[in-house]
Amino acid sequence: MKKKLVSLAISSILVSPAFANTLSNPQIGVVLDGYYQNGERNNSERSEGFGLGHTEISMSANIDDKFHGVLTTVLETHGDETELLLEEAFIQTLTMPYGFNIRGGRFLSDFGYMNNQHMHSDSFVERPVAYRTFLGSHYYDDGLRANLVLPTDMYVKLGVEALSGSKMSAVDDATAVGVYTTTLKIGDDFSESSSWQFGLSYLRNENGKVNNFEEHDHSTDGHDEHDHSHASAVTGSNLYGADFVWKWAPNGNYKYSNFTLSAEYMLLDDIVDSKFKGEKNAPDTLAAYYVSGVYRFTPSWSAGLRYSDAESYEGHVHHGSTQPHLTSLNDSEIDAMVAWDSSHFGTVRAQYTRVENQDKATDNVFTLQYVMTFGAHGAHAF
Amino acid sequence: MRFKNSTLFVTVSAVMLSAPALALNIFVCEPEWKALLAAHAPKATIYSATTALQDPHYVQARPSLIAKMRQADMAMCSGAELEVGWLPMLQARSSNPAVQNNKQSMLYASEIVSMLDTHHHVDRSMGDIHAYGNPHVQFAANDMIRISRVVSKRLESIDPANAFSYLVNGVKFREHWRQKLVEWEQRAEPLRGIQVVSYHETYRYLFDWLGMEQIADLEPKPGISPTTAHLQSLTRLDPASFDAIIYSSHQNKRAANWLHQQTDKPVIQLPLTVSKGQTLDELYDQILDDLLRVLAQPQPVKG
Repeated sequence: MKKKLVSLAISSILVSPAFANTLSNPQIGVVLDGYYQNGERNNSERSEGFGLGHTEISMSANIDDKFHGVLTTVLETHGDETELLLEEAFIQTLTMPYGFNIRGGRFLSDFGYMNNQHMHSDSFVERPVAYRTFLGSHYYDDGLRANLVLPTDMYVKLGVEALSGSKMSAVDDATAVGVYTTTLKIGDDFSESSSWQFGLSYLRNENGKVNNFEEHDHSTDGHDEHDHSHASAVTGSNLYGADFVWKWAPNGNYKYSNFTLSAEYMLLDDIVDSKFKGEKNAPDTLAAYYVSGVYRFTPSWSAGLRYSDAESYEGHVHHGSTQPHLTSLNDSEIDAMVAWDSSHFGTVRAQYTRVENQDKATDNVFTLQYVMTFGAHGAHAF
Repeated sequence: MRFKNSTLFVTVSAVMLSAPALALNIFVCEPEWKALLAAHAPKATIYSATTALQDPHYVQARPSLIAKMRQADMAMCSGAELEVGWLPMLQARSSNPAVQNNKQSMLYASEIVSMLDTHHHVDRSMGDIHAYGNPHVQFAANDMIRISRVVSKRLESIDPANAFSYLVNGVKFREHWRQKLVEWEQRAEPLRGIQVVSYHETYRYLFDWLGMEQIADLEPKPGISPTTAHLQSLTRLDPASFDAIIYSSHQNKRAANWLHQQTDKPVIQLPLTVSKGQTLDELYDQILDDLLRVLAQPQPVKG
């Protein structure tokens, strides 16, 4: 009798929709990111010593049958200060016809390959120097996006965005809508074991052209101010991007081993106002790129190599002069990393970076980092 | 002969009733649902996101899958978070209203099956575990009839022009499945009470159905790959307490072979799902063959 009762109770648990408690609204996820490093990389958000990186609290849910909403806040510490950033706060349509979808609010721009992916899914401690210089590590902004996926066997996606552009503004009287982007993505499988994606991006920045250089006093150390800037280091009227990613896994089974090769190239032009043309070192175009390869050789171990290079410049006027003083800069970095995954949700990573900056000074930066998530863990993009 | 007649009947009625509409485009997450849907909608174009050699937990939301999902009139997956690492990304990126959750045309098998191992408390320290229950429902043999009924109904509502053919195919599938269930349960009699060490609770529903019992797992926790320490602990199992070591075709065989060397228990590799062109009942036949070949050998004559 007792046994019967127990089995009755159990079966009622099984039949009852246990879905109710986990499908609860909204999904909440936390990413913890902590590190120690013995140096610093240029244009970086991470400083020397112990620090907390991209600590993320994210909530998402379907608002109703037509809209999905996401809110992602990021906490970052810099010395004694803790910054609270709103990285994503957007709504997205779910049921538009013909493969359209619209997103509005604050979101990561679709420019390039890596930009719209969350930082905690990266294989390296920081974004490549190309991203840190041209896109402020990762470019997110307020605005509107429309995407269209074509009904073809080959993946073809077209996208346009209109964004405030405040993080990429180089002028004081910026227009309200500063940035427009347009992107094309195509992709397919080479075989059951290997897949690829290729993208072209164009970013028009109405406020990107520098028309004024600030006075700069050589005696003060202006470093601390801009140490953890989230804005891009250089801007121009036009930014062009091309990206390619190739992923391989035996029989398409990614669990035990897989390899990812990705590369992006960016070109910035129309950088300074025409009145500065002809100045010594006035940049005409600037280029940046990275190439990265990551090999997972067991479910819990992976290793990767990355090379990144970014051209930039620095400009200021001396007191009492109208002539700007411009300097060409160049950063390149080689990263080597080894990561251990305790599970799908916890990663400990060691990374060595050989930094070669402007004046050909070299530096070695070693970082030990953990990235761990709890709560809801969203699916990752290709 | 009777089979031939009914095929003819279905074909004729399908031709008569169906408008010259394009065949349905169906996206499935795992090959077993392709086999099931092919039995119900033989004219449909069905694309499976994974193959028998892939672990459905670890799939990339790759461009080709987004393109396929974009064109789907209907999708079917196991659900219960099995595909949580990639399916939501496909749904979002494909911008296809038909494959969003809570649509008639988005079907999850685990919402139909009586789930085993549901949990009230779920903690990631328990491994990659789901409160919904064990998502490997392709071996929930008795529930397949209920799944078939839902599939028929959904197909009928999505593609009313061919409703009659879905109805007939559904009835045929269920009748055949009922016969097979009787046959399988008879054949599987020697397996009742067999105890095994297996990998990842992949065959939880199969063992439950056949009255077998999994007494230990090669994985320390679901989703955590076998560790040396955990495998060492398995060698301390009483050798009399289990009869075989079972793992799935997409899983790494090293752990199973290692335990085999330590304990001399037979190793059985079972398919995870249908292979190309195989029907769902052929998969079940194959699994029973594989199990019986090793576990139901004639008892040696004592003397």
